Amino acid sequence: MIEAIMKKESALNKMNEKTYLIERSKSLYQDAFERLLKDKAAVAAAVVVFFYSVIAILSSMGIIAADWNTEVGPSYSPPSASFWLGTDIFGRDVFTKIIHGTQVAMSVGLFTSLIAIPVGVILGAISGYYGGLVDELIVWFYTTISSIPSIMLIISISLIMGKGLVAVYVALGTTSWVSLCRLIRGEVMKHKNRDYVQAAQALGGSKLRQLFKHILPNVTHIVIINASLQFQIAIKSEVILSFLGIGVQSQPSWGTMIDDAKLELVGRGVWWQLVGATIAMFIIVLAFNILGDALRDALDPKLKGKN
Amino acid sequence: MSLLLDVKNLNIEFHTQENIVKAVNNVSFSIKEGQTIGLVGESGSGKSVTSLACMRLIPTPPGKITSGEILFQGEDLLKKSQEEMRKIRGNDISMIFQEPMTSLNPVFKVGEQISEALMLHKAMTKKQAWARTIELLDQVGIPNPSQKAHAYPHEMSGGQKQRVMIAMAISCEPKLLIADEPTTALDVTIQKQVLELMFKLQEEYKMGMLFITHDLGVIADIADEVVVMYRSEIMERNLTQEIFKKPTHPYTKGLLACRPSLDKNPKRLLTVSDFMTEQGAEKEINKELLHPYEKSFSFDEEKNPVLLEVKDLKTYFPIKGGLFGQTIADVKAVDGVSFQLRKGKTLGLVGESGCGKTTLGRSILRLVEPTQGSVIYDGIDITSLDAPAMREMRSRMQIIFQDPYSSLNPRMTIAETLLEPMDIHGIGENKKQKLDKAKWLMNKVGLNANQLNRYPHEFSGGQRQRISIARALTLNPEFIICDESVSALDVSVQAQVLNLLLDLQEEFGLTYIFISHDLSVVNFISDEVGVMNAGKIVEMNNADEVYHRPQQEYTRSLLEAIPKGIPNEILF
Repeated sequence: MIEAIMKKESALNKMNEKTYLIERSKSLYQDAFERLLKDKAAVAAAVVVFFYSVIAILSSMGIIAADWNTEVGPSYSPPSASFWLGTDIFGRDVFTKIIHGTQVAMSVGLFTSLIAIPVGVILGAISGYYGGLVDELIVWFYTTISSIPSIMLIISISLIMGKGLVAVYVALGTTSWVSLCRLIRGEVMKHKNRDYVQAAQALGGSKLRQLFKHILPNVTHIVIINASLQFQIAIKSEVILSFLGIGVQSQPSWGTMIDDAKLELVGRGVWWQLVGATIAMFIIVLAFNILGDALRDALDPKLKGKN
Repeated sequence: MSLLLDVKNLNIEFHTQENIVKAVNNVSFSIKEGQTIGLVGESGSGKSVTSLACMRLIPTPPGKITSGEILFQGEDLLKKSQEEMRKIRGNDISMIFQEPMTSLNPVFKVGEQISEALMLHKAMTKKQAWARTIELLDQVGIPNPSQKAHAYPHEMSGGQKQRVMIAMAISCEPKLLIADEPTTALDVTIQKQVLELMFKLQEEYKMGMLFITHDLGVIADIADEVVVMYRSEIMERNLTQEIFKKPTHPYTKGLLACRPSLDKNPKRLLTVSDFMTEQGAEKEINKELLHPYEKSFSFDEEKNPVLLEVKDLKTYFPIKGGLFGQTIADVKAVDGVSFQLRKGKTLGLVGESGCGKTTLGRSILRLVEPTQGSVIYDGIDITSLDAPAMREMRSRMQIIFQDPYSSLNPRMTIAETLLEPMDIHGIGENKKQKLDKAKWLMNKVGLNANQLNRYPHEFSGGQRQRISIARALTLNPEFIICDESVSALDVSVQAQVLNLLLDLQEEFGLTYIFISHDLSVVNFISDEVGVMNAGKIVEMNNADEVYHRPQQEYTRSLLEAIPKGIPNEILF
C-alpha cells in the first residue's frame, strides 16, 4: 500500500533533485577529533607519539641508528659534544642505542596491540552478545588465563619459542587481551538490550548485522582508548622483561640498557645509560597516558557537552 | 500572608563552546507562605533552570545568573555564600526530583538517608533522628515504616521511592518545597496518591510549594496560581481557575487544547501551532478543528478483515535459583491473552507498569519468544516460522519504541538508518531509488529531507520519534506496534506525533497496536481498548464502552485516578 502510494506520488511530482542538496554533517568521530584538537596537552602528546613513531620507522628501515653496534670512541666516555649521552662499555654511542631502543619499544607496543585487540574484541563481543554457554566458556577461559601470574606465562612462552623479540610480542599479546575482553563483553551486554538493536532485529537484521553493524561501532571508542593505554603498558612490560633477562636479546633496548646500568652505576659512576633510557621511556609512557585520558574525554558520549 | 519567595527579573545564560544561550529571560514571580505555584512549560522552556536557581544549584560554568534577585523571606539568595546556602538547602528550601530511581543513593538504607539530613540540619542524635524518620515514613504512607526504614531503594517500588523522597524533603520542615516533575515517572494511580499526599502535607506543614510540570492537567487540582513558561520567558500567570477558564495567551490555549481528553476529541488534536505563529503572534483558530469527532466502531468484512489473531498467548520468564541454577518459578509476564485485530483499526493496550503490555507487544513480534500460544498474522501462525521466513515476515510488521534517545543508533546517519532495512530486504533497485524513498518518507513524517546526513543527536525528541516512524515505514508494513511511543514527549509534541500516526493510518491503511499507560492518549487514538493487569486482559471493548461504561473494578480505578484537570466544557 505504501509502495503504491509512493509510486503514484512520485509520478505526479517528479522530484526536483536540486531542492534536495543534502547537508553534510559531522560524525561523532569528527566531533571528538575537533575536541581533541582543543586540548593542548593531548596535541603535545600526539606530537610526541608521532615523533617516536617516525624515529622507530626510520630506525627499522636502517636509515638512522643502523650503526649502533660500532665502536665510535673510548669505553665509558661521559656525555660530550661528540657523544651526547656518552658511550657504553664497548665504546658504542648511547644516544644511538636509545634510538634503536625506541624501535624495539614501539614495535612491542604495536605488535602486542595487534594480537591483543582483535582477540579481546572478538571474544568479548561474542561472549557478551550470544551469552549462555558460549559466554560461560569464554569467561572461564579468560579467568583461567588471568589467574596464572603473567610473568610465569611469559617465561614459559619464551622457553618454548626461544628468547627474543617475537617471544615478547606473543607473550605480552596473549596475556594482555583479558582486560579489554572483559570491558567489551560488558559494553556489548549493555548495548544488546538497547532499543535500536531491538529495532534492527524487528527490521529483520541478522544477528551478525546487529553485532557488527550496530553494537560494535558503539563500543569502538573503548577499543581506541584501551589501545592507547595498552601500548604504554606493553612498552613498560618489555623494559621489565629485558631487565630480567627474558626479553630482547643481542640488540639494545631500554630494558637491557637499564639492566647494564646495574653494574655501571656502582663504583664507576656511569649514569648516562640509565638516565637516557629512563627519560626516553618516561616521555613516551607519559605521552600515551595523556593521550589515553584525552581520548576518553573526547570520545565518551556521556561527557559530551559538559566542558 | 507574607511573601516567601520573590523572584525578580531573573536572567540566566548558558555559555556553550559555540554561543550563549539565554535559558531564563526576565522571569518574575512570587510565592506566598502556604501557597502553591505551578510552573508549566515544555522541556527546554527554562522551568527547571529557574527552580535550580532558587536553590543556587546552577552549574557554573557553563551557567551564569546575569541579573535579577531571588528574595527568600526578604533576603537575596544570590548574595549568599555557598556556606550559607548549604544551611538553607534541605533546611528551609528542599527539592523533590523527577526520577526517584536515581535520586536515592542505592548503597544506603532509605532510613539512613532520611536520618542523615535530620542529624545534619536539626542537630538530632542518631536515636532521635531514627525515631523521627519512622514517624515521617508513616506520615508519607509507607506501610510498616519501622521495618521499611531498613530497606534499600531497590527493594521499593517507584511510588514508594517517591514517597521516601518526599519524606526526606519535608524532614526538616522546610518553608518552601520545590517539586520538579515529581509524578511524571509514575503510573496514574500512583500519581494520584502522591499528589494527594503532597497536598495534605503542604496543608499540614504550611509550606510554600513550587510545582514544576509539563502537564497542565496535573496541577489543576493542586496549584493556587499557574505560571506558564515558553522559550525562557513567562507567557502568562494567573489564578489556576482563571487560566483554565480564560487563557489569554495563545501558547496557554494551545497547551490546554493539545491534551487529549477522556471524552470525545476532535478528529485531530490541536497543537500550539494552531494557536500561535512561529514568531509568537496569535492565530485565528479554525472552529472546525474543534468539532468533536464521532468514531465509527463498525467494520466492513471486505475492507477490514481480521489481520492479527492472538490465541492464548503466554510468555513466562524463568526465575533461576537454587544450587545449580535450575528454574524455580516463572514470572508470568503475559498469561493467556487472546484477541483479534482488524485491518486498518487500532487496538489500545493500557495498564500500569509491570502489567505485561510491553512484553505482549514484543511477543507478538517475536522479539521475545512466547512460551505458548499462537500469533496468527494474515492466516499464518508466525510462532512456528523458521528464521528466514520470520525475517521475511518482519517487513510486514514493525515497532516504534518509547525512548527516542535510545531507539536510533547514535553512530549512524539518518540516511544510513533509513536505508539499512531496505538493504536487508532488497527493496529498491539501486541506491538512488532507496534514497528517493528515504527522502519521500522524511517529507511524509514532516521532516526536511535535506537533513538525511545528520546524526540522531542533532534532532529533538519529537523529531527523533518521527525518524523512528519513518524507519518503521521503510519496509511498507501493514501493521505497527507503538510501544509507549509518545510517553517520553512533551504534551504539545505528543499531540503532533499522535496526529501524524493518524494521518499515516488514514493514508496507508495501517493497523496499530498502541501501548500506553496514558488512558487519555489511548482513548484518542484507539478503536478498541484492552485493559491489562498482571499479564491478562481484564477488559476489552470499543473505546467508548470502556471509558464510559467500564465493567471491571480495575478499569474504574484506573479511570478515577486521572487528574480531572481540564473540564471539556471550558475548552470548547
